[in-house]
Amino acid sequence: MDSPILVEALTKHYGNLHAVKGIDFEVRAGEVFGLLGPNGAGKTTTVEILEGLRSRSGGKVRVLGCDPEVQTKQLKDRVGVCLQANRLQDKLQVGEAMELFAAFYTRTVDGNQLLKRLQLWEKRDTQYDKLSGGQKQRLALALAMLNDPQVLFLDEPSAGLDPQARHEIHELVLDLRREQRTILMTTHYIEEAEKLCDRVAIVDEGRIIAIGTPREIQEKVLAHATIEIELTAPLGGVTLPRWPEADDVAVDEARRKISVVTGRPARIVVEMVKWLDAQGIELADIRIKRPSLEDAFIELTGKSLRE
Amino acid sequence: MRAYVALFKSNMRLTLRDRGVLFFNYLFPLIFFFAFAELFHAGVGAGIAYFVSTVLVMGILGNGLWGAGMRSVQEREANILRRFKVTPISPLPILVAAMVSGWLLFLPTLVLLVGLAHFMYGMPLPANGISLLMMATLGVCSMRAIGLILAAVTNTMAEATIAIQSVYMPMLFLSGATVPAAMLPKWAQTLAQFMPASYLVSGFQGIFFRNQNLGDHLPAVGALLLSIVLGLFLAVKLFRWEKEEKIAPRSKIWVMAVLAPFVMMGVWKTYSKDHLGTNAALYRNLQRAGVFLIRNARVVVGDGKVIEVGSVLVRDGRVAAVYEGAGPDPDSLRAEVVEAAGKTLLPGLIDAHVHLAASGGVSTDAQDYDAAKTMPRSAAALLYSGVTAARSAGDGLDGSLKLRREVADGAKLGAQLFICGPMFTAEGGHGAEFIDRLPATVRDSVKAQLVRTPKTPEEARKQVRELKAKGVDGVKAILEAGWGQGMLYDRLDLLLVRAVSEEAHAQHLRMSTHTGDARDVADAVEIGSASVEHGSWRDEIPDNLLERMAREGVYLDPTLGVAEAYGAYYSGKDEVLNRSMVQQVVPAALLKGTRAFVASGKGADAGKAELFQRALETARANLLRAWKVGVPLVMGTDAGNPMVFHGPSLHHEMQLWVAAGIPIEVALQAATVNAAKLLGAEAHIGAIRPGMDADLLLVDGNPLQDIAATERISLVVFKGERIRRAALFEQK
Repeated sequence: MDSPILVEALTKHYGNLHAVKGIDFEVRAGEVFGLLGPNGAGKTTTVEILEGLRSRSGGKVRVLGCDPEVQTKQLKDRVGVCLQANRLQDKLQVGEAMELFAAFYTRTVDGNQLLKRLQLWEKRDTQYDKLSGGQKQRLALALAMLNDPQVLFLDEPSAGLDPQARHEIHELVLDLRREQRTILMTTHYIEEAEKLCDRVAIVDEGRIIAIGTPREIQEKVLAHATIEIELTAPLGGVTLPRWPEADDVAVDEARRKISVVTGRPARIVVEMVKWLDAQGIELADIRIKRPSLEDAFIELTGKSLRE
Repeated sequence: MRAYVALFKSNMRLTLRDRGVLFFNYLFPLIFFFAFAELFHAGVGAGIAYFVSTVLVMGILGNGLWGAGMRSVQEREANILRRFKVTPISPLPILVAAMVSGWLLFLPTLVLLVGLAHFMYGMPLPANGISLLMMATLGVCSMRAIGLILAAVTNTMAEATIAIQSVYMPMLFLSGATVPAAMLPKWAQTLAQFMPASYLVSGFQGIFFRNQNLGDHLPAVGALLLSIVLGLFLAVKLFRWEKEEKIAPRSKIWVMAVLAPFVMMGVWKTYSKDHLGTNAALYRNLQRAGVFLIRNARVVVGDGKVIEVGSVLVRDGRVAAVYEGAGPDPDSLRAEVVEAAGKTLLPGLIDAHVHLAASGGVSTDAQDYDAAKTMPRSAAALLYSGVTAARSAGDGLDGSLKLRREVADGAKLGAQLFICGPMFTAEGGHGAEFIDRLPATVRDSVKAQLVRTPKTPEEARKQVRELKAKGVDGVKAILEAGWGQGMLYDRLDLLLVRAVSEEAHAQHLRMSTHTGDARDVADAVEIGSASVEHGSWRDEIPDNLLERMAREGVYLDPTLGVAEAYGAYYSGKDEVLNRSMVQQVVPAALLKGTRAFVASGKGADAGKAELFQRALETARANLLRAWKVGVPLVMGTDAGNPMVFHGPSLHHEMQLWVAAGIPIEVALQAATVNAAKLLGAEAHIGAIRPGMDADLLLVDGNPLQDIAATERISLVVFKGERIRRAALFEQK
């Protein structure tokens, strides 16, 4: 069976602005796939092209075998979408919103069951403007699930929510994952990607710069621990030895700090300390920096992920 | 279909929860309605329908432009439509649901306003309720279509507000919705014809005031329908779900496409100028609607009965009630009061014999002979003088029919007209004598308008049928041999005039015959004329002929005044020009020109003067004898002849009759109820009875004691409108 979502060499530009500069990935059936990246990376544009909201400038895209630009209506009938920027009319009640949107689809599930599942049943007579942020987001999810979609697009599902609400949304997505639904989500929270996604693509400036399971990416990042040793006195004219498995060795201008990037920090620290001791150089401080996924991002993209 | 219904239901729910929408749709119109009704003393009756139309159109403009337009911009700008975009629906159900829910939302306003106006202000329910509903429907839908297009071509709320405001405001103030269109300058009235709201205003007012239906407004209905279809089509094409999708400035031109049907209407109206008349007519309806009580007057009912102290209630153009004494409390009737103690109320006078195209004056200004100007002026002068109806006994056919229609529609204010059109006479006979002196270029057309000179009975019959088809009210024939003083005429062959009369009877047209002497009168009676115009000015009408006229009900219209006027004219006497009423109705320049001509002696002719002085005496004697024998009498003036001026001449005619020995009440009846009977209009005019047209003349004093009191006019009421008499001559 073909993957539900296939993206090949996708490009999108608005006039001179190139938002997506050639993206390839696929989302396999039953997989939760995350597009992780800073704001303006092209995540939302990519997702909205797949949802049939936008046209693409180039490349090939298939969702459930449909070209979103051609078989737009059939596709919209079969997928569920949770938009990033969206709201409903202030005076529309939860139950009425479900009833209204149900009328647009050829096939729907029981809206009441959905509301119960999403803990909105008590709120069914509440107007949209009286809902909390978390309730609004749960309603958005409920609407996205009305047509029992095989493929769900969740664009920043927990953005702007408080920790409790975010936790609830995470539990719901994990639920959907257990139901073997195919989900493409975007996020700029690393924890979210780590917690929810089977696989993640890191997107920056319209390109994918890393792709894999969160663990693979984590490991790639862990491989690059940095050892920093500060000295009480300048190093003088000695030549540093070539420590095995040290990927990069650097000394600062004042020759009082040595930095070593390595995949085997524990081992090299011992070698370094031995050598310094042998040289009679006194250590002022020693640090081993094990960067987070976020640091990896800064390293990979040169950008901060936080808003 | 499910999507349409769901969207419609959702729209209705949201709308009913929106206090702003409820306020603007229901409370706001009601506030305006009551404010207008009370501020402008709409009183009771049909006048309130004007404000119903006003408030309906205001409501439709608000509902359509602001309701549909702003809401769709708002939903786009607030990212609400985005959510709909990811579902499998198209713009069409969204737009159709918006239109239908707006329409449904408006219906209670319609019912509420009509109901309130009916129950609180006594507005008659419109006869064509379905047309009213349809017109409101077309209005709401087309305004919503325009609102949707404006929403579609604007990029922000601020832009949309400006766009909608710039459509809303002109329509509100120029369409006639707030200020009666007829009160606006002509350029503004024409500009308004480019706006859909104007057609709604005239549609509603037509339905309320004139029992019109959609069929009377077909071009407007077509334009409204077209704008709905175009509007929906373009709104689908230009539909945007997201605020990020900006529309190119050139796409804004599509607004023009929706307004195109009205641009076409506007161009057409600019060319046809129909709307000016329509606006004036609608304004007339407003003036005619209303309730007032003329109280404590001496009421001359018209049929011979006189109520010494009585009151007459006028409502919506008709006499609603006639009371002995002061009548009921006017407040209980919600009626205004016209206090008339010491005054006499008469039915509006009727002149049975006028020629509208000639002014009665002598002028060197060609304008004073331009029938397009003189005819409306004559009708206005008649009304000014309390003559609320007149029969044209010979005028240009097309011009007089047009004026009759304009007066009937209310586009022009003047006496109600009954038209004979061209006169049947002999080639070179009386009535056609001047035609040979006209330049050849206009001779044929003038002749076709003014006379019929049949050569065979068949031709005569055909000509009568043609006139009937044109819509004349009667037929005029001339039997006149004239005098041997340069006034000899070929007399219409009896065979021909009989054919005219027979065909007139067959076509249900009354035949009036001009006669010069007793032989003419005998022939006129013999062929079955309904009236004998002038009678005999040369000899005595034999008793047996008068008796036959009395027996057969043939009216005599002796026109003493014109005989007197010709006598004065040929004698070089201009006293008539010094009469107060003449000086009121005749323009100063024309008065001066006439005076100069008479003084110059150019017209003086002692022989003719003597003939006409004798004619007057003969006519008086015949009149007196006719009355004694019981011949039914009507009063005509032949106004338009030299120094016989429309309006004043009828008052003078009454004075001549009374001086001749005719009792005042007989003279008054001849000028009211009898004339109405001759015109076949006695069910509507000529008397003061409930249900009759409110054509009334209120004068100071008591004409039953002194007939000259009729000239002291206090008030003229025409079809329920209290006429601002001085303004009659300012009509354009």
